[in-house]
Amino acid sequence: MMKKNILKIVFSLVLLFSVSCTDDLNTEPIVELTLEELLAQDPNAVEGILSRLYGSFALSGPDGPGSSDISDDAGESPFLRGIVNLQDFTADAMKNRWGDNGLDQLTTTSDWTADNKFFRYLYNRIFFTIPQCNNLIAILENVDVENKEVIISEVRFIRALAYYYLIDVFGKGVLATEGNFGETEPLPEASRQELFDYTEAELLAIEPLLLTSNTYGRATRATAQMLLSKLYINAEVYTGTPRYTDALTYIDRVITDGGFTLATDFVSLFSADNDNSTEIIYPLIADADISQSFGNTTYIVNGSLNTETIPLADFGATEGWGGHRSSKAWYGLFGDLATSTDVRASLFWTEGHNFEMTDYREWTDGYPSVKFRNTNFLGSSSSTSFSSTDFPLFRLADAYLMYAECAIRGATGANMDLALQYVNNVRTRSNANAISQSDLTLQFMIDERARELNLEGHRRSDLIRFGMFTGNTYIWPWKGGVVNGTSIPDSFKLFPIPSSALQANPNLTQNPGF
Amino acid sequence: MKNFRNTFLSILLLFPLVIFAQMSIKGKVIDKTTQDPLPGVSIVVKGTSHGTETDFNGLYSINNVKSGDVLVFSFIGFNSLEFTVTSDTDINVELEESAESLDEIVVIGYGSVKKEDLTGSVDVISSKDFNQGAVISPEQLLQGKTAGVRITSAGGQPDAAPNIRIRGGSSLTGNNSPLIVIDGIPLDNGGISGVKNPLSLINPNDIESFSVLKDASATAIYGSRASNGVLIITTKKGTSGDAKFNFSARVSVSEVTDQIEVMDSDTYVGFIQEFFPDDTGLLGVPAGSVSTNQAVSQTISTPQGDRDIYNTDWQDAIYRAAVTTDYNFSARANLMEKIPFRASIGYNNTEGIVQTSDYERVTASLRLTPKFFDDHLRIDFNAKGTFVEKNEVDEGGALGSAVSMDPTKPVFDDNSIFGGFYNQVLAPDDPLNPNAKVGANNPLGLLEQRTRPQKVNRILANIELDYKFHFLPELRAVTNIGLEASRAKTEEVFSNNAISTYVLDPSASPGTYIFNPGVGFRERQHITNTTWESYLVYRKEYDTGLLNSFDVQAGYSYQNFKNDGNKDEFKNDTDTGVRVVNFDPLNPNNRFFSLLNLQSFFGRTNINLSNKYLLTFSFRADGSSFFTEENRWGYFPAAALAWKLKEETFLKDVNFINDFKVRVGWGETGQQDVSGKVGFFPSIPLFEIGSPNSQFIEGVNLYNAKEFNPDLTWEKTTTYNLGVDFDFFKNNFVSGSFDIYKRETTDLLVLTNVPPGQALSDLLIQNFGETESKGFDLNLNLNPIENEDFNLSLNGNLSYNFTEVTNLKGADQITVTDDGTRLPIGTGNFIFRHAVGEEAGSAWVFKQVYDVNGKPVWGSFVDRNGDGNITDDDRYFKAIRPNWTFGFGFTINYKNWDLSSSLRGQLDGQIYNAKRLTAGVIDNVVSQDGNSLDNTLNFFSGVADIEVVDVVDPIQFSDYFLENASFLRVENIVLGHTLKDVFKGTTLKIYGAVNNPFIITNYSGQDPENFNGIDNDFYPRPTTYNLGINIDF
Repeated sequence: MMKKNILKIVFSLVLLFSVSCTDDLNTEPIVELTLEELLAQDPNAVEGILSRLYGSFALSGPDGPGSSDISDDAGESPFLRGIVNLQDFTADAMKNRWGDNGLDQLTTTSDWTADNKFFRYLYNRIFFTIPQCNNLIAILENVDVENKEVIISEVRFIRALAYYYLIDVFGKGVLATEGNFGETEPLPEASRQELFDYTEAELLAIEPLLLTSNTYGRATRATAQMLLSKLYINAEVYTGTPRYTDALTYIDRVITDGGFTLATDFVSLFSADNDNSTEIIYPLIADADISQSFGNTTYIVNGSLNTETIPLADFGATEGWGGHRSSKAWYGLFGDLATSTDVRASLFWTEGHNFEMTDYREWTDGYPSVKFRNTNFLGSSSSTSFSSTDFPLFRLADAYLMYAECAIRGATGANMDLALQYVNNVRTRSNANAISQSDLTLQFMIDERARELNLEGHRRSDLIRFGMFTGNTYIWPWKGGVVNGTSIPDSFKLFPIPSSALQANPNLTQNPGF
Repeated sequence: MKNFRNTFLSILLLFPLVIFAQMSIKGKVIDKTTQDPLPGVSIVVKGTSHGTETDFNGLYSINNVKSGDVLVFSFIGFNSLEFTVTSDTDINVELEESAESLDEIVVIGYGSVKKEDLTGSVDVISSKDFNQGAVISPEQLLQGKTAGVRITSAGGQPDAAPNIRIRGGSSLTGNNSPLIVIDGIPLDNGGISGVKNPLSLINPNDIESFSVLKDASATAIYGSRASNGVLIITTKKGTSGDAKFNFSARVSVSEVTDQIEVMDSDTYVGFIQEFFPDDTGLLGVPAGSVSTNQAVSQTISTPQGDRDIYNTDWQDAIYRAAVTTDYNFSARANLMEKIPFRASIGYNNTEGIVQTSDYERVTASLRLTPKFFDDHLRIDFNAKGTFVEKNEVDEGGALGSAVSMDPTKPVFDDNSIFGGFYNQVLAPDDPLNPNAKVGANNPLGLLEQRTRPQKVNRILANIELDYKFHFLPELRAVTNIGLEASRAKTEEVFSNNAISTYVLDPSASPGTYIFNPGVGFRERQHITNTTWESYLVYRKEYDTGLLNSFDVQAGYSYQNFKNDGNKDEFKNDTDTGVRVVNFDPLNPNNRFFSLLNLQSFFGRTNINLSNKYLLTFSFRADGSSFFTEENRWGYFPAAALAWKLKEETFLKDVNFINDFKVRVGWGETGQQDVSGKVGFFPSIPLFEIGSPNSQFIEGVNLYNAKEFNPDLTWEKTTTYNLGVDFDFFKNNFVSGSFDIYKRETTDLLVLTNVPPGQALSDLLIQNFGETESKGFDLNLNLNPIENEDFNLSLNGNLSYNFTEVTNLKGADQITVTDDGTRLPIGTGNFIFRHAVGEEAGSAWVFKQVYDVNGKPVWGSFVDRNGDGNITDDDRYFKAIRPNWTFGFGFTINYKNWDLSSSLRGQLDGQIYNAKRLTAGVIDNVVSQDGNSLDNTLNFFSGVADIEVVDVVDPIQFSDYFLENASFLRVENIVLGHTLKDVFKGTTLKIYGAVNNPFIITNYSGQDPENFNGIDNDFYPRPTTYNLGINIDF
């Protein structure tokens, strides 16, 4: 009898236990946090999520420089690295010699294919940032925080910036918004016009909502105005309809309302202490300690150095990756570098290097650019493996040159005297001679933009806008894969849609020519 | 109809109501060979369910027996004996051990069956078949021993990861390793920190046998984790007789046999003088600058001054003749004549063939198998403790440098700032980089100047209670509670002046370097896994009628896997270069934590009809914490039929057929293990805290929303299996099994692209696509000679497996981005793809163009589609995995001598010879900064081609680098001599063995047996010579 009772008890326990155990299937982490836990734990949690959205343009991932937000290589794939690769290496001024699978095709503007991983990197980064923004907007619908409207506007700015690159680089994609967030059916393809209209509307909507000044690295009204101007100045390329007057309107607001002034010294803009600059409208932050990435300015600084010819310590680096050299299409614009008074002409390393780039894979062919460096402009600094120099994505000199360009292109309300003054402000700051009204031509503007803005992620868009990227009106060393340059077809105005995207969403179509 | 009536009558006999009062019989049952009493022998009155069992002393008594009844004495592993009752009331019986005793009973999961009653595809490998010699880890016992099981060690490390595949593995991203069950406890599927091979924590000497469950009808009972087969390990038990002891000792010496053929010093000097005449000043060292015992082999004069040339074989410098010792002691006895127990203790000390790669292990085990309440309650208590301490060497660094370091440099230099190890540095007055370290790191220095001790303490324990109900002995309740717990600690320490800690001090004047000795990394990990299983079994046997026997079981299983740990991470201070703690205020001790919970309800029935037709049905419902509540449960049925043809009248009297059985099986199994790729919480939205190096906006902590897939659910595999078991001619002259199978996997767990913009990252783990595997397994054993003095037996196996990707949800191919499949050049160079219509994980390559002399025309590929351009469309797929694998061996016994050998190999497969890519290229000789030289493969002996100048994209995807990976490896040759009764009751066996004496292959690299298919910085598998003794007393 005793035994039977024991058995009954055991049985009941077993049954009870197995029922209560099924709750254990709802496992929860300890290190990672749910949204509720995060909000309860940190009053600034929402800004912390916002920080990662801003950071998505410079950092490779949330867990140090070896981590990656996307499946691609943490070192090669960061957003800013993609901007430099696709906007500067494919154009006339910068060439890379590593020959990594796909980089040669960028640097020689030839043989582009949908499987080139460098196109995928930027595409994936764009479509990492966009849904992350949508996610935060969706979260904010149910969460109360201070300045919610401003924060949402900032998120919308970050998303618009990502869309800007989609429009500029790939020309089409899906329109992923907070409205369709979470849908699993593949979204339809949106045309360049649709993406343009959406991004324009977003920027117009948030421009009045953004703060006039904000924590360093965060978007302000001027940031949105600058992006809107970029969208408008390239509108003819994107949509077929010129919008130079609209561009001028917003550039004018940046210049007159933004409170920015030109930095006294050009070099200070590209030094490790450039976070103090009065000229930078929107930086992508880098820090040797707390914002480490192989894809921020570290890529430009270390990539342009090589112990074979350059003392690393002079530029605050501990490693020289021996990758990038500029071509004569850039330094040729300054005349004789040895005699030029232009500060900007002094930022090429010529010792041990050849003027001509006979072989783009030979380190000593072409002059490396030392425009970006990791030394402080004021005071001493030490060499670090990662760069502390912020990337000036938008700065006042660019706005000045855009104003002049819009003026030349006949934007309503433009003041030609002001345009000339702006251009000369930029030039004389670098000790270049002032020009006269008659010099102010489109050809002069595209060259001045090269002298002033190369390696800052604008060059390819600029050349396309000036009709000089494709065809044979303008050739540069290694354009089209030959040493002296050759014509390339108009299809090169856009990059191929990565095959991984086409496979994942059957609604997407390839760009013509690929 | 008659059969039905008999069955009915048999069921009636369940309730023996009225029995004629008759006589009692008692007696003793002993083992004929040892004369030990046999406990637990079943004694049944034939044709009834009336019976009893012997006690611990082999004694029994049975009432209500009448003259003329037949008593059946049966015991697992012994031949049954029938005895007709006369008037004698004392019946003593001697049972004889059956010839195939160990084969007879097969553990199949939640129970065991007689081998002849198996319905699924199950192979048993018992101790007599085990590999011998240098065996450190259990899986090495069965390498090459059974068809369809491919075990590929990651290399020659003492605890190399084993990579076990049963019938290939059908998942693309999910885990493809089989489930391993030790004494009923399923092991963790995650890793123990610092332990590459979790199985090495089990002492192979404690293992009695393996059951390999291959098809779904066999594995389905393990449901959730059994899609890739199940490996059941049974450890040795105690005895019920006299105490027995075993002591074994082995000493082994291992050495590397195949080195990578690079240029020696003389050849290299000539090579540099011919091909890089401007760089001869980089050869050797400035004359007289180095102080070492090593002789200068020549002094050459260069534009940069006289240079002393040394002759260093860097591979010789890092390899050693490694000594291993292994001792085991075990005792089996019957404690207080009530508790059979076995206890063992083992010690293993293995030196790796790479200097400082050491491994030391102490194991202890205890097993108690008492019975209570008139044997109604059986308890099986098992505990195994393991204590491991090893030194993990920087393999990639040391093995890579040993190939690439300039052979004209000396090993040591008393003047060196690197603690006596030579390493090249630029001059203090170098204009660009004074004092900078250049060239490859001294590989011996890397090994000697860093220790990374890893200590693991682990316990694996379980207690199983098996209760046979008093009022219904056919019903049993079984509960098994298990614990697997490990505590691991890793600490990396650098010695003073360690080459790899030489860093710039940015705060001091240019060219100032400092060293950072001391701790560079620390990790502590606690794994605590708990298992709880309970089931009821009802088993009934009938003597007459169609229904011979049946059993039904139903149960529940609970498994919880917890991994909790933390790390100390360090960084070099950006201002001073000094190593400091990389402090993360939001996760101060860098904690990591993961949890997996699996629960299941299962049922199975085995039905034996007329002892000719065996039917098995099983069903299992599995829940996994990886999936959300809506998608959590998977349901997995299986069925099998076996037809014992031998029992049919038309074969019954055919003498040359001892056994002939046909098996048909079908079943579904599930796969949920994606932890290796996506972590433990893949379907819920979570935030992670940004590291201290990944902050952006000042003053706030960065938080990242992790990607997740709420729709994630079970991957399902349907397996069809058709097999035969056979045993022909006298003395099991020919026996074996042959199985053909097909496996279809749907809803594959694949980490792949999502429609852009529609998830929180570009890749997401998804249920995506299908694969199909086909193959066969053949096991064949021959017993051609069997007599008193001389026995010869041969065994062999052959298997074929091909896994094809059949659907990728509209995509043509997806890239394989697993660790270990990356080409060692640039970044993100992945060569393997899963492509529809191709074998999973095939290489996607260009066809190399060769000239008339067979030399590669460098940079030229075949324009396969003839469009005039070389594009990705010209690439084709080449299968990497071997489809045909085999193993064979023999054992010869002559009087007291035995000789055995075991061989295995593969007939196809490809391997990417990555050393040709990294060290077979002329342009890689002078470093990119122009300051140092690297050695390369020997261009003059033919291991690399002098035409190979430079690796320009996409040359790394040329099929030039792929080579045939077929091989035949001699696993071991063992010669033993047994001395019986050296003292009374003492048996002594002495043996000599050599493991991996040689391999036959056409592969030009070191070793074609490579799990990932990419041969780079491979830790060579040594040849090992062993001498051992084994004493039973």
